[in-house]
Amino acid sequence: MSNCKNMRAKIHSALNDQNLRGALGRFADAYLGARAKAYQGRDFEKLRQTIADRKGSSAQRMEELAQQFKKNAEARGAKVFIARTAEEAKKYILDVALANQVELVVKSKSMASEEIHLNHYLAEHGITAAETDLGEWIIQLAGQRPSHMVMPAIHMTRQEVSEYFSKETNQNLSDDIPLLVQVARQELREKFLKAGMGISGANAAVAETGTIVIVTNEGNARLTTTLPPVHVALVGMEKLVEKFTDVGAVLECLPRSATGQHLTSYVTMITGPTPSNLPDGTIGPKEMHIVLMDNGRTKMKEDPLFSQALQCIRCASCLNVCPIFALVGGHVYGSVYTGGIGTILTAFFNDFDDAGELQNLCLGCERCKEVCPGKIDIPKLILELRNRVTAKKGMPASQKFLLNTVLPNRKLFHSMLKIGSKTQKPFVSDNKIRHLPLFLAGLTEGRSLPALADQPFRDQLYRLSKPKQPKAKVGFFGGCLVDFVYPELGKAANKVLNNMNMEMVYPLEQACCGVPAGHLGATEAHRRMAKQNIEAFEKAGVDYIVTVCPTCTASLKKEFVELLKDDPAWAKRAEDFAAKVYDFIHFVAKQTDNGKQLGLKPLGKESVTYHDSCHMRRNLGIYEEPRKLISEAGLELKEMQWPDRCCGFGGSYSIRYPELSQPILEAKLDDISSTGADILCTACPGCMMQIGGGLDKRNSNIKTKHVVELLAERLPD
Amino acid sequence: MADLEKLYEQFKAAAEAVSAQVYRVKDLKEAGALLSTLAEEGGAKKIAAASSPMVDKCLENAALKAEVKTEDLRKHAEEACIGLSELDMAVAEIGSLQQDCTDLNKRLVSMLPHTHVALVKTESLVPTLADAIAKIDANKDHIPGYMAFITGPSRTADIERVLTIGVHGPAELKIIFVDNPGGVSHE
Ligand code: SF4
Ligand code: SF4
Repeated sequence: MSNCKNMRAKIHSALNDQNLRGALGRFADAYLGARAKAYQGRDFEKLRQTIADRKGSSAQRMEELAQQFKKNAEARGAKVFIARTAEEAKKYILDVALANQVELVVKSKSMASEEIHLNHYLAEHGITAAETDLGEWIIQLAGQRPSHMVMPAIHMTRQEVSEYFSKETNQNLSDDIPLLVQVARQELREKFLKAGMGISGANAAVAETGTIVIVTNEGNARLTTTLPPVHVALVGMEKLVEKFTDVGAVLECLPRSATGQHLTSYVTMITGPTPSNLPDGTIGPKEMHIVLMDNGRTKMKEDPLFSQALQCIRCASCLNVCPIFALVGGHVYGSVYTGGIGTILTAFFNDFDDAGELQNLCLGCERCKEVCPGKIDIPKLILELRNRVTAKKGMPASQKFLLNTVLPNRKLFHSMLKIGSKTQKPFVSDNKIRHLPLFLAGLTEGRSLPALADQPFRDQLYRLSKPKQPKAKVGFFGGCLVDFVYPELGKAANKVLNNMNMEMVYPLEQACCGVPAGHLGATEAHRRMAKQNIEAFEKAGVDYIVTVCPTCTASLKKEFVELLKDDPAWAKRAEDFAAKVYDFIHFVAKQTDNGKQLGLKPLGKESVTYHDSCHMRRNLGIYEEPRKLISEAGLELKEMQWPDRCCGFGGSYSIRYPELSQPILEAKLDDISSTGADILCTACPGCMMQIGGGLDKRNSNIKTKHVVELLAERLPD
Repeated sequence: MADLEKLYEQFKAAAEAVSAQVYRVKDLKEAGALLSTLAEEGGAKKIAAASSPMVDKCLENAALKAEVKTEDLRKHAEEACIGLSELDMAVAEIGSLQQDCTDLNKRLVSMLPHTHVALVKTESLVPTLADAIAKIDANKDHIPGYMAFITGPSRTADIERVLTIGVHGPAELKIIFVDNPGGVSHE
């Protein structure tokens, strides 16, 4: 836990760092446009499928490709060493330096070398390693760690840079950026010309030719691999690809995703040693060493779920789109590899337990997954890390009680919620209980919380009307928010179903969808809830199963199947169940020709702006249907900027990290207000609670509504 | 030829978008004259050149005030204002040049001086990066020891994300396309 506290302190200092937030925020906005422009005319889905296929299959054959690479590179005169551990890699590199009496090393950017703290190790043995990538050099002079994989010094201002440069060069430098860059050029040029050895990384290593490929903008990698008489390339084994043409897709995506460029200024491809100016004044082939480093990659490869992380090309676009990263920057993640993917890489390459705390920062909004050129399901891997850490460390007894006893028992849950909302005490003071999804108490900062419904939806069922001769029986899954906070959504859904001549059935034995348990790493509890729900709806004998919460839909439709796939008694039942599950909005659109058959009657002249919930947009892929329904209801749709940007709710997230959730919400509220719309509409009760609460706190006149409410209000009598 | 015209236009637009300057000449005689003008304009006192058929011919045809060095280039390229070399391929779509630079001199002159003047045959234009990679791949059993793709001058955005040209490599990249590298074309 000490780790966790430490992280909290880092979050606070990051949030208070105006430079950082300004720089990251500006960048996050500019980045999206640049990236989109760079990919114009390219089929991103196809490109990333190629990368996933090629890098995925190469990763599975990592060992074999390493041997093939070694053979081919050695045939061209390089020496290849396969290092199993960080220690082995460092020792080998040190030995090469000592054998050549090297005092000064120039380095071009290599994350692998940071992963093993190579500079520190060389310094302990009296060898100075100078970083030559401008950002890395700044970081080195400042004695800090990179805060971003592509832009290591993004958190620093020009004033700070000029101070460090002034100190290093004993001058009084202004903070003019071109001047600072010139100073760096001169200082580092001297080092390039003096250095006895160059250390580089590589972005790809081609097994069939023994070639390493290095991508840079500054040109420092070219100097590093040309001027000194000895070159050592430190290459993580995940960089191995089988064929030379495999480099193509990586080169198409890496610059576009990283910086919105078509290609970086320099791409260097080196196969074996090439001529160099040798210390004795002659020109001859240099000494070239390639260290292929395992250090956790084989372990990752052997993991059926995590092996996909080896498809990462280190473009950092997952950081650039991450709402949490935009707020806090890389240092909070506390490792060489930052952000969501960094959490995963850290767990395997550095320390599993360390990453265990970091994963809590993820909102699960899936934006990263959408842009990842390696096609990695980052949020899923983060969640799985959480599961493993919980499995290893166990869960506190009080939390177990809640997950195993309270959540599945709706009556008990509701009465506890009622007590909680009245007294607030037991839920606020106890940290563990605060992790529950709906412990709304104590969270009124920046957001009003809705009162709990006096009567949960389940207790109001007797009042619902039914069609006489329904053409279908539709099972309604309430989920925590509808059942206890927004029963009116259930009633609205019933009205719409009636209009469609369908009967709503609400099996009382249904439980929570299990997502909160899953997010706490309690896979078993999630699985138990899956079974309870499947059983309840089987008994009810329904034709369809719907919910108005996209998070519940995703759990019912996808996660239950996944959780039960290895259980012969349940696998098929879960699939049959899932086949019937629809998000309500999707269901209505599909059944009524996008609302045309509902006979909706416009009411007044209100305008609407629609917020895409993360799960609805990215997990379920539903975004056209709600817009069509809104138009069909006779409402004017005014799109906000970034309608699919997260609102910061993230389930229990807003409760665990209100300090992060809050600024994300504020940005959303600004976007909503600028549209001038009368109604904020969304298709997710979680987003409703977050955004609605925020608007209320601002005393805004904008009303918050679920799509189902807009429909129900406009049904003919 | 119509195809080459299109590729050239595409290349020029893409390369200029990344701050390179693009010129086109009929033959190496014109290239020599252009080099003389560029050297004059830039006030160059020393030119470091990596010898190759096009470079040699271009130099023969140039009337240069600047001193030209073709040997001991680690020293001279560092002091030179202009580096001159021949490039092998030009990728139209993205304005990139490609070069086999196993020859140390080619690397030194394209990295150390302030300006890199790149000679390339117009006929060596290919449409896309994938085409360039396929060409290299076709000869992969004899892949050169050191190859480079060069796209615009050296750049960085590492301080406050402000784009700045000319960090470690050249601050200027001037590309001269030569239509008829074989000889001096007839008027
Ligand atoms: S899911 Fe969202 S919060 Fe989590 S790492 Fe990805 S972008 Fe960041
Ligand atoms: S995980 Fe994907 S988006 Fe993130 S750095 Fe790796 S390849 Fe890029």
